[in-house]
Amino acid sequence: MFGKNNKTPLPAKKKEDIPYIKEGISFKDWKAKNGSGHKWRTIRWSVLIGINLLFILSFMFDLSLLEGSLSGSRLFGFYLMDPFNSLQMLIISAYTGHIKFLTMNFVIGFLTIFIFYFLMGGRTFCSWICPYHFLAEWGEKLHNYLVKKKKIKEHTYNIYLRYVFWVGFLILAFVTQQLVFEDVNPIGILSRAMIYGPGLILLWILALITFEIVYSKRFWCRYVCPVGATWSMVGKATPFGVKFELDKCAHCLDCQKVCLVPHELWFVEKGKATDKRHDVGSDCTRCGLCIDACPGNALSYTIKGWDRIL
Amino acid sequence: MGKNDYNLNRRQFLKSGAIAVGALAAVGAGVGYLQKVTAESRINQKFLRPPGAIDESTFIYGCIKCGLCVQICPIQAIKLAGIKDGLAYGTPYIDVREQACDFSCDSMQCVETCPTAVLNFVQFKDVGEKAIEEYDATHKRDENYNPFPVQIHAMKSIVKMGVAKLKPESCLAFQGKGFKGSPRGSGFKGVNRSPYSGDLKATPVHDKVYDEKICDICVKECPIGDTAIVMADAGSGKMVPEVLDGCTGCGVCVMVCPTGEPSIIVEPVKS
Repeated sequence: MFGKNNKTPLPAKKKEDIPYIKEGISFKDWKAKNGSGHKWRTIRWSVLIGINLLFILSFMFDLSLLEGSLSGSRLFGFYLMDPFNSLQMLIISAYTGHIKFLTMNFVIGFLTIFIFYFLMGGRTFCSWICPYHFLAEWGEKLHNYLVKKKKIKEHTYNIYLRYVFWVGFLILAFVTQQLVFEDVNPIGILSRAMIYGPGLILLWILALITFEIVYSKRFWCRYVCPVGATWSMVGKATPFGVKFELDKCAHCLDCQKVCLVPHELWFVEKGKATDKRHDVGSDCTRCGLCIDACPGNALSYTIKGWDRIL
Repeated sequence: MGKNDYNLNRRQFLKSGAIAVGALAAVGAGVGYLQKVTAESRINQKFLRPPGAIDESTFIYGCIKCGLCVQICPIQAIKLAGIKDGLAYGTPYIDVREQACDFSCDSMQCVETCPTAVLNFVQFKDVGEKAIEEYDATHKRDENYNPFPVQIHAMKSIVKMGVAKLKPESCLAFQGKGFKGSPRGSGFKGVNRSPYSGDLKATPVHDKVYDEKICDICVKECPIGDTAIVMADAGSGKMVPEVLDGCTGCGVCVMVCPTGEPSIIVEPVKS
């Protein structure tokens, strides 16, 4: 978990190998030439809003499209289960014996979601579906602005804290015989609030987002959320990800600035890359912000194995 | 990554880890406290769980708060509890005074849809199949062979959300009074399928107008029928409603009761 790469890095790029110097133009011109649109962000936000809207509309108009909420749902009659919620429940049920009553629908939904996110890149859920991520993305913008204006200081913590919370919440669930995490889970809370109507519990979301804005950037997603941690583990060997090509990189670090998990982009720094090509790790949410930001198109979506064949 | 970097990282991790464990312990203590304070009151009074609910202590962790039961109920009888209900936040309940479960879906959909079986369908399935078997034995050659009414009747008969209890002090029948008009006023939003109407779907309660010499609306509207509540002689020819063993606690009687405070209430079954 800690030491990610023991290989020796490749020697730092020579000046004449930097893409814009190779082309004989300034960095600014090069950046302007290649453009940095918001293609993937637009697509991703459309998917995120679309899926959550599908939940809302299914309830509003009694359609059998995507029923339930993000804690558990039915897509055209096929069940899908929230992984961490189910894990908590399974741990308690295994102890109390309720586990033998669980329906086949539950088993199918639980397995389907794992297989799906294993194929789709693990934390893809976070940036493509999670409604709290959407809120937090706006909070992040505000936070960055405040930091830039020197109104507040940045506070960062160790990224592996999530695993402490992951284990901790499972233990808590077991000890209290209660789905403790689901009571504070902003994903479920927001999803239910959107679909079944708001409640006072939204104050908790407000508190969270305020904390993220004024104190620590993306605190919940980066350091706490056990749902994200679950997906991170599921996505360890996923085929879908973002690849990095050293040859096209100018080490401008624009990608790290927009990234939710900049430690996953460690190889973009000058003299850090150990190979000509790198794939991001499982903490990456496949949000595509880095792909949009990169002026040299050094980062792109990939399906491991496939692109080599093609 | 240098050795110093690593040590710093480890120190930082241990420090924030300690804070995290502290936070978790605080959450745990909070939950423990809330359990102690609220569980008793929740089990004993307020919460009428949807049909087929298993005991409350299992329900509280088995329910993953997905809301599929809320979604599938055609009359929107099921609601999700809010934060004021403490640890029951997000779990389904039925407020029978606002909208009772009148079984007009005819299939126990909410129970069947529950993935974690905290609304346990197995019992209904077994009873339903048994009823069909019995029906088949005698009616197989009938011209209008239709086992489904028998099946659903058997299924809804074993529901036990609670038991209705009369309050003689305010009940109109106990005072020998009748009732004329719409029991809950014209603004009431609840719906109900009257067992005598032959309707397939539930219709608004405010559309129904009664003219009873002795108020017996609860008995008339009961979806279970004369195994659950009947008008019985309370001595000297006075007819009053009487709740029997067959009561499922569906709460239709509570919903249609015309007195300001309902003169009949449903007490949840205690686990």
